[in-house]
Amino acid sequence: MIQVTELSKKYGGNTVLNIESLEIPKGQAFGLVGNNGAGKTTFFNLLLDLIKPTTGTILNNKIQVNTSEDWKPFTAAFIDESFLIGYLTAEEYFYFIGELRGMNKADIDAFLAQFSEIFNDEIIGKKKYLRDLSKGNQKKAGIVAALIGNPEVIILDEPFANLDPTTQIRLKKLLSELTKDSNATVLISSHDLGHVTDVCERIVVLDKGDVVKDLKTSEETLKELETYFSV
Amino acid sequence: MIKHFLNFEWKQFVRSSYFQKGIAIKILLILAVLYFGGIALMLGVGLFFILKKTLPETDPIIIVNNFLIYWFIFDLALRFFMQQLPVMNVKPLMIVPIKRNTIINYLLGKTALSFFNFLPLFVFVPFSIVLLIKGYPVLNVVCWFFAMLFLVLSNNFINFLINKSNTYFYVLISIFAIFIGLEFFNIYKVSAPIGVAFNTLYNNPILSIIPLILMIGLYAFNFNFIKKEFYLDDAVSKKIKEVNATDLSWMNRFGSVAVFLKNDVKLIYRNARPRQVMMMSFLFLFYGLIFYTQETYQNMPAFLAFASIFVTGGFLLTFGQLVPSWDSEYYKLLMSQNIPYKKYLESKWYLMVFGVSLSFILATPYIYFGWKIYGMIAAGALFNIGLNSFITLIGGALNRVPIELNVKAKAFSNTNGFNPTQMLIALPKMVLPMLLFYVPYKFISFEAGLIVLGLSGVLGIVFKGFFLNKIEKIYQKGKYKTLAAYNEK
Repeated sequence: MIQVTELSKKYGGNTVLNIESLEIPKGQAFGLVGNNGAGKTTFFNLLLDLIKPTTGTILNNKIQVNTSEDWKPFTAAFIDESFLIGYLTAEEYFYFIGELRGMNKADIDAFLAQFSEIFNDEIIGKKKYLRDLSKGNQKKAGIVAALIGNPEVIILDEPFANLDPTTQIRLKKLLSELTKDSNATVLISSHDLGHVTDVCERIVVLDKGDVVKDLKTSEETLKELETYFSV
Repeated sequence: MIKHFLNFEWKQFVRSSYFQKGIAIKILLILAVLYFGGIALMLGVGLFFILKKTLPETDPIIIVNNFLIYWFIFDLALRFFMQQLPVMNVKPLMIVPIKRNTIINYLLGKTALSFFNFLPLFVFVPFSIVLLIKGYPVLNVVCWFFAMLFLVLSNNFINFLINKSNTYFYVLISIFAIFIGLEFFNIYKVSAPIGVAFNTLYNNPILSIIPLILMIGLYAFNFNFIKKEFYLDDAVSKKIKEVNATDLSWMNRFGSVAVFLKNDVKLIYRNARPRQVMMMSFLFLFYGLIFYTQETYQNMPAFLAFASIFVTGGFLLTFGQLVPSWDSEYYKLLMSQNIPYKKYLESKWYLMVFGVSLSFILATPYIYFGWKIYGMIAAGALFNIGLNSFITLIGGALNRVPIELNVKAKAFSNTNGFNPTQMLIALPKMVLPMLLFYVPYKFISFEAGLIVLGLSGVLGIVFKGFFLNKIEKIYQKGKYKTLAAYNEK
């Protein structure tokens, strides 16, 4: 689904990302881990064509992301709060994203019903603007919005951060179901090694912009990651 | 401590992407500063002699005093739109061991160093020197000069206050409205007693103490105002308002751009800053009153054409010039969502067309000034829709100043989206229609001028697709830069 070749990003003389080649097949749950400054968010920003690659290309379903906009209809993402429109209520925001993806209000309402557990009555029908919600609730809204319209590629940057424990567990369940049922390709980054090994079938470790590990998740993966990071 | 503050400010200034604009724009800015400074200087030197020549029987200082009030009002208006107020991110300073008073004093003191406080000096200093050379009493002139200085600084602090608080802004606007009303309908000339007051001040040097007290008072007022806001759970915190959801589904008839239009309407009425701009654009409707009522301009139709652009172009000029910036808070979303760039730009175009059309309808009473004037407004509206809208969109591509929409929530951030760069970008929007009208008017006739001006707009509408494609390319090219600039707040 996603093909990365010779991708690098430099700021000045400083290389922040350098990936020779990386291929993410369709339907994979792909996890990205690494310390601060490893290049996780840079990679996601490049995938979404929000920053310009210094060299190399990214193909999303055979479409080169920085020359065509045709990847947008089947790709969705939530990177940070700047993906929310602060002056809308959560519903209005969902309807907006829904309209962009060709769904009407009824479709969206039906879609949102399945998230009532996650929303915990704090997001829908609250008559509050998104900017007035707490960080955690904003995150919930952003993640759910990224799932609207059955996107084939879903990119979530640190989806577990700022969430309460209950929601973290529910989100894990949700993400696993997503890759199994709808065959969507899910890319997440996380600092929580436990969560990421639970959800992802493949984990790539970045360090200062380089891919240092590419693991197929198994019983030992969590151990291996913990050993790697405890140095 | 001040040393640190100055250091921070300097770093913020030279490291902002705003400063890293093209060299051409920087040079233009410097030229503009020199130009206005030069004009002020010439005015200051020449004022005395010009007045002496045109009105020989009255003492120039008396005439100047009579008109001072207009100067100060103009000065305040200019400041409100142009003066960049200092930005200090206060939150991180709240818990470090610096005295609160030091921070506030610094914040206020810094505003006093603005170019707008030096500009009047270019006029008042040479004017006072000329007065002294001409043998006016030294004590009176010097005290008068200092009184002017205090009043200029008072204006500075008033501007700070009305920029930071909408309440004071509306209070001031209402007072002005009442004054203008009284003056305009000849009920009571408010300017007359003010002129007398200034003359009394000149004749009694001791009275210069009043402006001094006024300035100190305003400073103290500002000081207390900021000090009160210096709490996270007070004014620095956000006031959570209940949502008033409005059904905008009737807008769906606008087809594929409807989804954006609905958003833009919400943007305008739910955020403090766009609301303020909307109000401003409404005032533009009255611009024509200044030009159409004056005899002098009747024989200068190019200026009337200029005014006509303003009458219907208020929304276009004020809201439109900040077009991608309005979405700066969530630009990343727009760039990665299922939105073709062209559709986004088209929706903004429709919004501006809507704004111009609405202004045109509201401008109907101008028929009172005759069909010639009204024809001009109509031609101007066509030009605004057909060409100015596209020029505005192109200008937007160069404008990478992020806007914080809900300004009220953050009383210490920079609320002024207006800046000189934007004024420079705005230049072709005003010069072009004047040329389009004036050239055929000069060589053929008044009607020809109108037709050319109007037709230029129609052509723009006909070639809309072409223009939007070109503009899309410009935006596409600047996309990464824009995203990076919006990212820094």
